[in-house]
Amino acid sequence: MEMGKIIAVHSYKGGTGKTLLSVNLATTFARQGKKVCLFDLDFRAPSLFAILNMPKADCWLNDYLNGTVDIGKVLIDMSSKVPGNGKFFVGFANPATEAIRDMSAKDRKWEMHALGRLLSLRNSLLNEKGFDYIVFDTSPGLQYSSINAIVTADFVAVATTGDRSDVDGTRRMLRELYNLFEKKTGLVINKVLDATALSKRQEMDKKVREVYQVPMLGLVPCFCDILRAEGGLIFVRDKPDHPFTKILDEMAKKIEKNEIC
Amino acid sequence: MRLSFKNNYQCVVRLNKPISRMSTVHTQNNSTRGTHVNKEEPFGKKPLNVLEKIRDNLERLNDKMEVMIELQKHGRKDLGAPLTDAPLDVMTLLSMPDHLRKTAMTICRCGRATAEEISVQTTRARAVESAYLNQLVIMGYLKKERKGRKAYFYADRETQG
Repeated sequence: MEMGKIIAVHSYKGGTGKTLLSVNLATTFARQGKKVCLFDLDFRAPSLFAILNMPKADCWLNDYLNGTVDIGKVLIDMSSKVPGNGKFFVGFANPATEAIRDMSAKDRKWEMHALGRLLSLRNSLLNEKGFDYIVFDTSPGLQYSSINAIVTADFVAVATTGDRSDVDGTRRMLRELYNLFEKKTGLVINKVLDATALSKRQEMDKKVREVYQVPMLGLVPCFCDILRAEGGLIFVRDKPDHPFTKILDEMAKKIEKNEIC
Repeated sequence: MRLSFKNNYQCVVRLNKPISRMSTVHTQNNSTRGTHVNKEEPFGKKPLNVLEKIRDNLERLNDKMEVMIELQKHGRKDLGAPLTDAPLDVMTLLSMPDHLRKTAMTICRCGRATAEEISVQTTRARAVESAYLNQLVIMGYLKKERKGRKAYFYADRETQG
């Protein structure tokens, strides 16, 4: 039996759609009947708590990384919010200002422990509890917590836009960080104008291979519906016939079948 | 027991004959002289212990030789000054030379492993991994612990933290 996968969703800059991608990718896997766990590793700007409308949590991922609780106490079962037989668990980052300040002040030794705790999830969740996927929603840029997530992951989906500074930064990050860790990576270009035209998609695919030298995982057009939803919808759950849902289905299929290489 | 020399620095020890077979030979020789000998342990446990000690010492010597070979190959610049309990965090991993990073990342994923187990994951030779792991031990990033014949390597996050 094939073992589960850890997927990290990362980007060079903020606002590229990492959280949108993480939530919808995890929900897509859950809709397909998989056992999935979504983690908010963006400790500087936690957002899953608001997006998934969580009233309160007793334990946070912060506590798990601090070594004060087991992962079982952090995970919240939200399977009832996803259609189908899949299982959907979420580990939230503490959104309190004090917790954000505390996480920003951690030293290298703490980060080394945090890496050990993240790496041990492979055994505790994938091996022992039989999860099929763990999805990490990370902070943008070269934050310690993000690099820890990248090192732990089997596959990294890098979200980027057409913005010049983003293109340049993403290219450098792929070359100077991802290559060193020999990570399997797929690029998601978000907010693309005229992305429905085949010629545009082919042009983008060629550009991605030339500029970034990694394969493309997906091309997401600039959907006004997504902007209008203001983060209040999980598209793949609430709009199953939307083109965005179809794109996410394709991405999930590529990851599952290891078509990205 | 066979001693073979792979190169100028490396000495590999192989025990081709099991101890029990060696015991049989001695028993037969002694029985022709008509003396009473314990078939299980003809000379008691002492010679066996001595042989095992020699084997362990030769294996340790082998490990040290492998480190010396690697140091000659890559030059001392990789090694830097030996550190005590240096944290093996992601920034340290990033600053490592490629060949050591691969080994360090594999040990991070495995938690605790022998050179043999690491070599399966990295698809490099066991002796090469043994040398890199010992290099990481000298640099203070890993700890090494012997259990019988096997040497286990691990990042000791408790004492480093």
